[in-house]
Amino acid sequence: MHEATLAENILNIALDAAKQNHAAKIFKVGLTLGEMTGVEVEALNLSFDVLKKNTLADGAELLIKRVPISATCNKCGKNFRLERYNFFCPECDGILILQSGRELLIDFVDCE
Amino acid sequence: MEIKLMRNILGANDEIAAQNRKIFAERGVIVMNLMGSPGSGKTTLLEKTLTRLADKIKIAVIEGDLFTAKDAERIEQAGVDVIQINTAGGCHLDASMIQKACVSLNLDAIDLLIVENVGNLVCPAEFDIGENFKAVVLSITEGDDKPLKYPLIFKESEVTLLNKIDLLPFTNFNLQSAREDLTTIHPTIKIFETSCTKDTGLDDWEAWLLGKVAR
Repeated sequence: MHEATLAENILNIALDAAKQNHAAKIFKVGLTLGEMTGVEVEALNLSFDVLKKNTLADGAELLIKRVPISATCNKCGKNFRLERYNFFCPECDGILILQSGRELLIDFVDCE
Repeated sequence: MEIKLMRNILGANDEIAAQNRKIFAERGVIVMNLMGSPGSGKTTLLEKTLTRLADKIKIAVIEGDLFTAKDAERIEQAGVDVIQINTAGGCHLDASMIQKACVSLNLDAIDLLIVENVGNLVCPAEFDIGENFKAVVLSITEGDDKPLKYPLIFKESEVTLLNKIDLLPFTNFNLQSAREDLTTIHPTIKIFETSCTKDTGLDDWEAWLLGKVAR
């Protein structure tokens, strides 16, 4: 539901970057989204497609890279990829500290 | 040409949240971001909490609501300063809404600011408003599967209130598995079992909350 807010922010950041670089058209906007963010990609694309109309990004598409959830044990220091949000260390009695999966980044803007 | 950005999509919100957090710290205000589904009992919990704490600490409330002032009217009855934010359909509160609302609050006269977020288990978890901690209310009637279905909000929240606990015998809610799922997602999460209509568990909740403010 907050995808519209995210799409608005993405568009504004991309348009600012394009203007600063005197670009006339944006082709692609690259995003990195962690798996532990509440983002529905379909809703994000839909919102972006509505908002981009009549801007430099009119023909732009979102290129989305997803980042899996990974965490490091606060005791044994081992790194694990999480599937089911289990933040207990599978190998000792430590607790896993989130390392990746919360990314909400705009990586690049491809324009001319 | 490719312009490298590597910028946080919510960076603008996070910057304002950081400003809010700095102002709250300077003024000595502890801020709780109270979240949960529509109908989980956030406002009733708030009413009970205000009644209990009224003569102990100074509290103000910011009420997030899609369209109405119904909750704010309820809170006003408790004799507490309340600011209403109508998000007009928006699914969450953000840092700039809190910044604007705080203009009409005398922060120096407040110990605890409670922000009741829009009823929703998804979006509010993603938006930092400059709070000290997040609290999430999960009512028994919503089902014990909610922690695993909406892990982010439980990961982000320092405390969960399993509310309407008096209704447990009338549902298939499995308290043990809900507790296990909550601690699996967030090993250090604090859990209270409460019923605001039966006054169950509220002493412990009150003591814990007072502890947060005294710190």
